[in-house]
Amino acid sequence: MKLLNAHLSPSIVISSIIVATTGLLGMSTILDRKTGVDEMVLLAKEDKDSAASVAAFEKVYPVLMHPRCMNCHPKGDVPLQGDDSHIHSMLPQRGPEGKGVLTMKCVTCHAPTGVEGARTPPGNPEWHMPPADMKMVFEGKTARELALQLVDFEKNGHKDMKALRDHAGDDLVKAGWEMGGDRELPPLSYEAFKQAWYAWIDNGAYAPSK
Amino acid sequence: MATVQTHLNRRSFLKLSGAGGAGLLIHFSWLAALAKENPQLEKAYELNGFITIDTDGAVTIASPNPEIGQNVKTSMPMLVAEELDVNWEQVKVVQAPLNTDIFQRQIAGGSRSIYQSWDALRMAGATARYMLVQAAAAAWRVPASEIDVNEGVISHKASGRSSGFGGMAAAASKIEIPKEVEVKKIEDFKIIRHSKRNVDGLDIVTGKAVFGLDIYTDDMVFASIVHPPAFGMKLLSYDAAEALSMKGVQEVFTIETYPENFERGYFDTNAFPELIVVTGDSTWTVMKAKEKIKAKWEPFDTHSIKMKGTGAGNASDQKVPAGRDTTEDQYAAMFQKDKEKGREVRKDGDPEKAFANAAKVIERSYTGPYLAHSPLEPLNFYANVTNDRAVLIGPTQTPEYMEQSVAQRLGMSLQQVDIQMTRMGGGFGRKLFGHYLVEAAVISQQIKKPVKLMYTREDDMTFGCYRPTYLATFRAALDQDNNLTAFHVKAGGIPESPLFANRFPAGAVENYLAESWTIDSNITTGAFRAPRSNFMGAVEQAFLDEVAELAGKDPIDFRLGLFNKAINNPVGKKNDYDAKRYAGVLELVREKAQWGRSKNGVSRGVAAYYCHDSYVANVVDLRMENGKPVIEKVYCATDCGIVVNPIAAANMVEGGSVDGIGHALYSMLTVKDGAPQQQNFNDYHLIRNNDAPRDVETFFVDSDVHPTGLGEPPFAPAIGALANALYKATGKRYYHQPFMVDVAGKYLPKEQPAG
Amino acid sequence: MALYTINVNGAAKQVDAAPDTPILWVLRDHLRLLGTKYGCGVAHCGVCTIHLDGDAVRSCVYPISDIGTKKIVTIEGLSEKGDHPVQKAWLEWDVPQCGYCQAGQIMTAASLLAQNPQPTDEEIRRAMNGNLCRCATYTRINKAIRTAAKEM
Repeated sequence: MKLLNAHLSPSIVISSIIVATTGLLGMSTILDRKTGVDEMVLLAKEDKDSAASVAAFEKVYPVLMHPRCMNCHPKGDVPLQGDDSHIHSMLPQRGPEGKGVLTMKCVTCHAPTGVEGARTPPGNPEWHMPPADMKMVFEGKTARELALQLVDFEKNGHKDMKALRDHAGDDLVKAGWEMGGDRELPPLSYEAFKQAWYAWIDNGAYAPSK
Repeated sequence: MATVQTHLNRRSFLKLSGAGGAGLLIHFSWLAALAKENPQLEKAYELNGFITIDTDGAVTIASPNPEIGQNVKTSMPMLVAEELDVNWEQVKVVQAPLNTDIFQRQIAGGSRSIYQSWDALRMAGATARYMLVQAAAAAWRVPASEIDVNEGVISHKASGRSSGFGGMAAAASKIEIPKEVEVKKIEDFKIIRHSKRNVDGLDIVTGKAVFGLDIYTDDMVFASIVHPPAFGMKLLSYDAAEALSMKGVQEVFTIETYPENFERGYFDTNAFPELIVVTGDSTWTVMKAKEKIKAKWEPFDTHSIKMKGTGAGNASDQKVPAGRDTTEDQYAAMFQKDKEKGREVRKDGDPEKAFANAAKVIERSYTGPYLAHSPLEPLNFYANVTNDRAVLIGPTQTPEYMEQSVAQRLGMSLQQVDIQMTRMGGGFGRKLFGHYLVEAAVISQQIKKPVKLMYTREDDMTFGCYRPTYLATFRAALDQDNNLTAFHVKAGGIPESPLFANRFPAGAVENYLAESWTIDSNITTGAFRAPRSNFMGAVEQAFLDEVAELAGKDPIDFRLGLFNKAINNPVGKKNDYDAKRYAGVLELVREKAQWGRSKNGVSRGVAAYYCHDSYVANVVDLRMENGKPVIEKVYCATDCGIVVNPIAAANMVEGGSVDGIGHALYSMLTVKDGAPQQQNFNDYHLIRNNDAPRDVETFFVDSDVHPTGLGEPPFAPAIGALANALYKATGKRYYHQPFMVDVAGKYLPKEQPAG
Repeated sequence: MALYTINVNGAAKQVDAAPDTPILWVLRDHLRLLGTKYGCGVAHCGVCTIHLDGDAVRSCVYPISDIGTKKIVTIEGLSEKGDHPVQKAWLEWDVPQCGYCQAGQIMTAASLLAQNPQPTDEEIRRAMNGNLCRCATYTRINKAIRTAAKEM
């Protein structure tokens, strides 16, 4: 398995560097903007286990690409909907804050707790998409692309590694397993997902080669 | 002036004659219902069945037919007001009660309300005016012929005397009803042909308009139903323990809406005559409780139900086949049937020979899916049945027929059953079929309490009475000179055929053959806006577009050529359209849309169709964006005779066109093992604002002839024009509705090439 | 059941209802404010639209337990005399056919114009895309909103 990190990737030119350091985990995220190479490298400590990290991410990836997660991380500015990830009925738009616009806000239909039912919109007090200036697209991304994006401070909502790690406990992430109705659940249980997510980050947050 | 008590028991008859109204009989008396809506009217004078005039001159006009959005509650009273010569701004309109003694055909259906009442309503107005004039003539001792009536003022020029209607109302009510009255010349109309806004407009925009769903009484209980999840199934057993343990739930029981020996009328269509009912203290209670009822269902065997028939002694048995249908199998069965010889309905000339001798032959097949009417107000009804009386209030398109069904089901006389009409939140044909109000009556009778029965959206969508699913195959023959020499249509459906054998192009082609077939099913269907026409009009017009193209002719010129033939040298005698009026709307839309001019990036299609005695031609302008049409503009030219209320007529044509386009693009109900696969608007798609045509412009033929239908005729031709514009935009013909679903890929037999 | 005090059209109302009761049914069954309609129960048709702290919200999927101190405005509370610019424009264009969806359309349109008094045609269409009109009066709805915008 080809792994990507600073030691193995001399081709990365470190210039115009944007660095996000995480004191806790001692890692840096480096992105080469100048060359336009859409690559990012983790500077992991020697004691990190790249193989374990990548293995964990391969469990995480199908969860993130599952409709329960991906539907709010679309390529475009309209969320997706349903187990077949069709364009969200009624075409609500992302809006600057990811909360919709005007009369088509997320809260128009997604109440704080909502009403239980086979077809009712899931409720959540924080229901939103990623904001317009940081769209955090999942749709169409390979595992490698997604991993690189997730750890990119400039793309992930300015989350350092600790914040990124903690994000697995976010209520809206958890909501992916609590939407009710006959919606298909992600391939891992929420607990198993969290463990895989932590294992991925704790072992260095390596990106798979593909 | 002395106050005279109202004539609650007055039974007056008006014999109408002249203006095509010979033999019409109206029976007057509706004040009781007026008094209910407006207690102030107790002292009003009842001049006849449509009009009351108060002593202060206030005029109240009753609108007899159910209001479903076709705006008859405004346009019908306009006819009365015109002949009464009252100031429209002073008229109050109320919904008349159901009274088959007084009113004729209190039905919202068939686009017939204005058509059928054109004479009767004007006669009613003219009669009242006559009586007021006679009263004034007697009071002033002047000749009636010298009296004028204008905007609610009666005047005599020579003597300078004048009076409002109120001053003459008491005397007028004692005038003998004339045997004949004169009605106005068309050029003298002051109200008819002038736009009058919806009389309920202010109530609607302030949320005060009362729909069936809005009937609440303090003593009523709420009821919800559980019906089989699939056609072809019936109840085996149920466990209501969990539901009954819920707070607020009162009772769970079963009802038989139509018992086995019940002779059903035409509007008693019902796939699920046995239901589980849950009652409780609120809508939300019963909606939640119904989900907790654990029912077991079983397939039913082929059986028959008793149908009343249209006259005494012609009751019949109607077969209900066993089985649980699936959409793919239904399409396969229809294409199989399409290969067989159908029932010959009309034949002119020698079509076989003409096809054999043709220079070019083109054959195309078209399909249309089940459609759920989906009025936004789901089925619901209030019922209060006591030992000797049944009061029902709610939305129904057929109060007259349902009164019979309820009386028959409860074992009451018609006089004991009182059905009151509310505004309807749409119907589109669904509320013709009134099983839901029989259900409400049976529930109320069973629990001995007033009840409000509420269908959820899911109940409404999965209960049947759909637009049937159809298939039509057309074949046309052209000679060397690209003249249409033969036309063959074979059409059928589940469970009815959409064929109209005597409509265009019948009569315009020497050699013509029309065949029909049907396939039985236990999935119930019923009239849907422009029944049968909603499919045939659309697909026939799409086919003719392709024939015109094959003939190398402009699609309008091609059709006009055929109309010329039908005008000058018609084939056969039973052609049920007027080719001149048909051609007229095409010529009008050609002019208004500037057909032939090209617009950048916009593709155009044209179509015209006749149904419900009216003619509509459309031009649709669209462009494609991300695989979906953006419809820039729809031009509609309509000939519906005299246009009674232009602003409302335009609204109806706009809505009808967009409704047709929406269904043809998006809507489809499929079944799997008898179970409807769409249950709510999350997967049953209706056209939305962002997909609707950006603009619809309407034009009406300036006409002096008897007004005809308007609610239904705009639906089908808009679809034809859409399909033809889509072809221009994409280079691809669209044969299978809805166009935005890959029907051929998902549902049609694989060996069946598209088209 | 639980006791809630909610603010509806400027007045405090006390309601005893199950916590999961959609506010739609509280308005209709408990308070008899019947202008807000039921159409689908799953936020797909918009006939139940109300304002919640000014936002257009589908009352059929908003439980009373989620309301708290948020201010509810229904069609009955949009204006005192039916003279909100949107209502007036609706009358001028004679928009309604059956009329059932129109309270929801009007509430959505009023919320739109309150937030964006001069919307573009596309903004109007997108803002109104959650409100079905089965009679398909969409072109008139949009024209009426443009007229109302002139008065905002």
